Amino acid sequence: MSILSKDSPGKKTLFMGNEAIARGAIEAGVQVCAAYPGNPSSEIIGSLSQVAEELGIYVEWSVNEKVAVEVAAAASFAGLRGLTAMKQNGLNVASDFLFNLNLTGSKGGLVIVVCDDPSALSSTNEEDSRPYAKMCDLPLLEPATVQEAKEMTRWAFDLSEELGLPCLIRSVTRLSHARGIAELGNMPKNRPNPRFDTSRPIIPQPVMLTHKALHDKIKKCQDRFEESAFNLYRGPERPELLVVTCGPGWMYVREALANMGAENRAGIVKLGTTWPLPGSFLMEHLKKANRILFVEEVDPFLENNIKEFCAQRAAELEVKTFLGKASGNLPDVGEINPDIVTGAIQQVLKVSYEPRPLQYTQEAAEAVSLFAPSRELGFCAGCPHRATYWSVKNALAMDGRDGILLGDIGCYALGVRPAGFGQMKTCHAMGSGIGLANGFGQLERFGLNQPVLTVCGDSTFYHAAIPALVNARYNRSNFLMLILDNSATAMTGFQPHPGTGRTAMGAEAPVVEIEGLCKALGAQVEVKNPFDVQDTTEAIYKLLQDREGIKVLILRQECALVRVKRQKALYKVRVNQEQCIGQECGCNRRCTRIFKCPGLAWDPVTGKAQIDEAICTGCGVCADICPQSAILKETI
Amino acid sequence: MKLDNCDLAEGRCFAYCPRTQVDLETIHQKVFGQSYLNIDIGLFKQVKMARASAPILRQKAQTAGVVSALMNFALKEGVINGAVLTHRTADHLPRGRVIRSPDEILSCQGSSYVASPTLQALNQGPWEDTERIGVVGTPCQVLAMRKMSVSSLKRNTLMDRVTLIVGLFCTWALTYEPFMKYLKNRVNGAQIRKLDITPPPERLLKVLTDDDHMWDVPLDEIRPFIRTTCGICLDMTSELSDLSVGTVEGIQGWSTVITRSHLGEEILRRAEAAGIIESQPFPEENFKHLREASLLKKKRALLALKERGELENGYIILSRELIGRILSEAEEAGS
Amino acid sequence: MAFEKDPFNIIITGVGGQGNVLASQLLGQMLVQQGYMITIGETYGASQRGGSVMSHIRVSQRDQFSPLIPEGKCDLVVGLEPVEALRVLANYGNPGVLMLINTRPIYPIDVIAGNASYPELSILLKKIQRLSRNVWTLNATEIGLELGDPIFSNIVMLGALSVLDLLPLHREEFQKAIEELLPSHKLHLNMEAFERGREAVQKLPV
Repeated sequence: MSILSKDSPGKKTLFMGNEAIARGAIEAGVQVCAAYPGNPSSEIIGSLSQVAEELGIYVEWSVNEKVAVEVAAAASFAGLRGLTAMKQNGLNVASDFLFNLNLTGSKGGLVIVVCDDPSALSSTNEEDSRPYAKMCDLPLLEPATVQEAKEMTRWAFDLSEELGLPCLIRSVTRLSHARGIAELGNMPKNRPNPRFDTSRPIIPQPVMLTHKALHDKIKKCQDRFEESAFNLYRGPERPELLVVTCGPGWMYVREALANMGAENRAGIVKLGTTWPLPGSFLMEHLKKANRILFVEEVDPFLENNIKEFCAQRAAELEVKTFLGKASGNLPDVGEINPDIVTGAIQQVLKVSYEPRPLQYTQEAAEAVSLFAPSRELGFCAGCPHRATYWSVKNALAMDGRDGILLGDIGCYALGVRPAGFGQMKTCHAMGSGIGLANGFGQLERFGLNQPVLTVCGDSTFYHAAIPALVNARYNRSNFLMLILDNSATAMTGFQPHPGTGRTAMGAEAPVVEIEGLCKALGAQVEVKNPFDVQDTTEAIYKLLQDREGIKVLILRQECALVRVKRQKALYKVRVNQEQCIGQECGCNRRCTRIFKCPGLAWDPVTGKAQIDEAICTGCGVCADICPQSAILKETI
Repeated sequence: MKLDNCDLAEGRCFAYCPRTQVDLETIHQKVFGQSYLNIDIGLFKQVKMARASAPILRQKAQTAGVVSALMNFALKEGVINGAVLTHRTADHLPRGRVIRSPDEILSCQGSSYVASPTLQALNQGPWEDTERIGVVGTPCQVLAMRKMSVSSLKRNTLMDRVTLIVGLFCTWALTYEPFMKYLKNRVNGAQIRKLDITPPPERLLKVLTDDDHMWDVPLDEIRPFIRTTCGICLDMTSELSDLSVGTVEGIQGWSTVITRSHLGEEILRRAEAAGIIESQPFPEENFKHLREASLLKKKRALLALKERGELENGYIILSRELIGRILSEAEEAGS
Repeated sequence: MAFEKDPFNIIITGVGGQGNVLASQLLGQMLVQQGYMITIGETYGASQRGGSVMSHIRVSQRDQFSPLIPEGKCDLVVGLEPVEALRVLANYGNPGVLMLINTRPIYPIDVIAGNASYPELSILLKKIQRLSRNVWTLNATEIGLELGDPIFSNIVMLGALSVLDLLPLHREEFQKAIEELLPSHKLHLNMEAFERGREAVQKLPV
């Protein structure tokens, strides 16, 4: 029984921000939801998929974010309410459609949720998605609390329908993954039947007219925003400092002022509707003070837009001092937090504030640096990627021509770190690995002697790799593509994909076979088990010698976390304590120092390697790397 | 060259490698109890011409089946319990193989002239604690084994169990991948059954393919595939083994056998006595050729080292005096 | 029940995979049921693959606070892992902080690999003691193992917490929360884990 589907209006419950967004969509009567997994957005469609059947709605995991928006948009075009959710990078993927969608407009309420990841806690890049709203001229809402996340989402569908425009909601990690109290609203009553009016084609042409119409819609939106309760002011009538904020900044600023005892010195303008700007509302409050501090996540979006606004209306305002990222009062990169905000306000208001004795701070810092060893990220015990990178390392060393491994996104992106023996040399967007391989694979004509390889996960393959593979065949690029098929979208939480045989709603699904696709595209295809290190190394080495065309090596082995749920181990692995020569091993503890599987531990007391049976998942790979043949594996 | 970011000050890889820090004098003392003096073909007790008596051993053999016969005999007599020989796949890719029964020896006959990671099989075994092991190897492999037995880093090297080392003559070895690719192309994709390099003045690589066609490939065509390391090798006749076996110039079907240690001499004597090996005295003329060929390889190696600026401080420690003697004797033998 | 501070700030910390998130959810749920305003901030994602995990829990009777605790303002640390318990004190500790610690270490990969060392537990606990007001310990993982799965250690810790009388965390509230959040067949074992935690917790002598 999920809180998402509970029909108890007025009940207050702890929601995750993402769940609150999902609940808001449900209360608004959403019928079609589509997304591609991406941290910190995955739980939105993830939680909806759990209750989809019960609520009679359709939820799917799409292969990429562009398709996902299109799926939701289709529902909207047919008069139903559609929702899509993605991380910051997803909006980039979907942007081409977005720049046409704004001109064509939508019909049924359409809400696009984008969850940014400031400080890239689980992303490859840091990005502020909000400028898309300004570029596309679409309404933008930024919830500051879990309750707001639900309410804004619910309202966004009505707003979208009224304006005939998709509505953007921007969340960040600290909201999406936070839990707070939200009150359940009413469940929807009726839901329309879909129908597409073929007498009214949905096209952006003639652009001069639709673009103008878009501007008119945005002006109308602005009027709605002026009345919105999501924008508010809290503080004295004549504050020394005005703090303009949105998102989680709202809560940080309030707490900072309270802790410093400065609540009567600063006033807070909280904006929930951040594009277009509610001009009259802003005007009223900007007149209250001449020093204005902007607190927001990632880019100076509000900061710059409000400065622009003030320039436009300068005649009505006194001279302002703007403080924020441009002035250096707040860092221009990375996540904000209560301490950064406190520090900024402290600096501006010249408040003396010490949260704790300085001596304590120093002592604690010293203790941690001495007694708290850091936790380096690594592959799980039994992860096929560790075995794959081991084979790549050996094959490239044997080949000796300084091969280039171009990487992509997923758990295997850890290949840039010691966990993956530093094999992965580039990492950008989904499918960039094979994209770059296309380019590198053409450079031999200019004298590039280094063999080109790329690594790509199964989910990544369906998302973005296929067009690049077609390109490689057509333009005759020469490289080796390793597809790491662990039958999972592992990094984001094991969502199903076209290779797993299940849909988001748990139904059986046809498997879209990777081998078949690659063969049809004219690639030379081989399939190996990465746990068979000798075999895999030889296969990689051999394929590297082939200088013609695209070679695809599918390394198929289930993700360890998935496998251990079903069966404990493939092998019983142990270290022969007599055979293991411990510290005297010629390669200086190659097994533990380099291979670094958490199931293979170094016992400093005996000076030998040991298998930690609690962690080892019995993949047997370490048995093949010991130069002394001291690690033994027995089939179970 | 650093393997896997190793931070060891002294590693076994470095200590055992035949191309790092070779102190020939020390090794020779440890193995034979004497200084390194016979700079032409190494220390020896006898040089003979020999061949395996049993025709089956000569059938698939490279030359005369001598190595096969000796190892066979040693196993049967219990001088050794197991052996490490080199086995080739159908595609002539060589690997070391652990042999325990005389029948398995046949699978290891023939040469592909390609460098083989034979000692990997010695390292991996698996071996029982009390087994005595015999190894057949090329001069560099024999050198590695001797380095293992004299190294101060000695740990479980198995050398305490290696009782018999048979060395093969070797002028150079080829790198497998490019060589095979070239050769396959050269014989129009036919399956290669046997490779044989003929002695001077011909110097051809004779390739016998499955369709019974014999191809003659001039050696110059395959010189590009000779391993660089062979250019600085000073050992043609496997001077550190118990006994060494190679071809006889100008005489088909017989091998040169050089006995060096007491064990080597004893094994050959017993094998002859048992009728396993037939032997003949070694012609004086052939001895001259043997010396000449061996010294020529040394001279080439020294010149190569000199060109690399590694004559004095290269991988092998040689006194000026020794270098001088080798060069002058090579001159003399050549003229 | 009025407690010392409002907001009362708790950090549950451990290593990815220890059940940190569920523990914070249950704790939050128990207090929400009694009318408290709760905000929980989580840091996870890539941390699943062996990294540190932190949940910040803000407990208040008057307002909804931010999901991150300001510097030096933590009142209680529930450490599912000893080193992690120390680690959070760098940013969030203060002389009055209370510590409840599971004494079973989880070794970082560099320690497992023999490239770094893990501090001796008694020294670590002494260090933590110097940086806090009171320390309570128990081997929650051991108890979890006895119950059949080390993952129960997080529930054991909640049981231990309930005994310290810092917050209204009675058995009945816990049962309600478990029933709300987990499938019914898991109730029995979780209740037992909770009880065992109550019995096992001990105060660390100064």
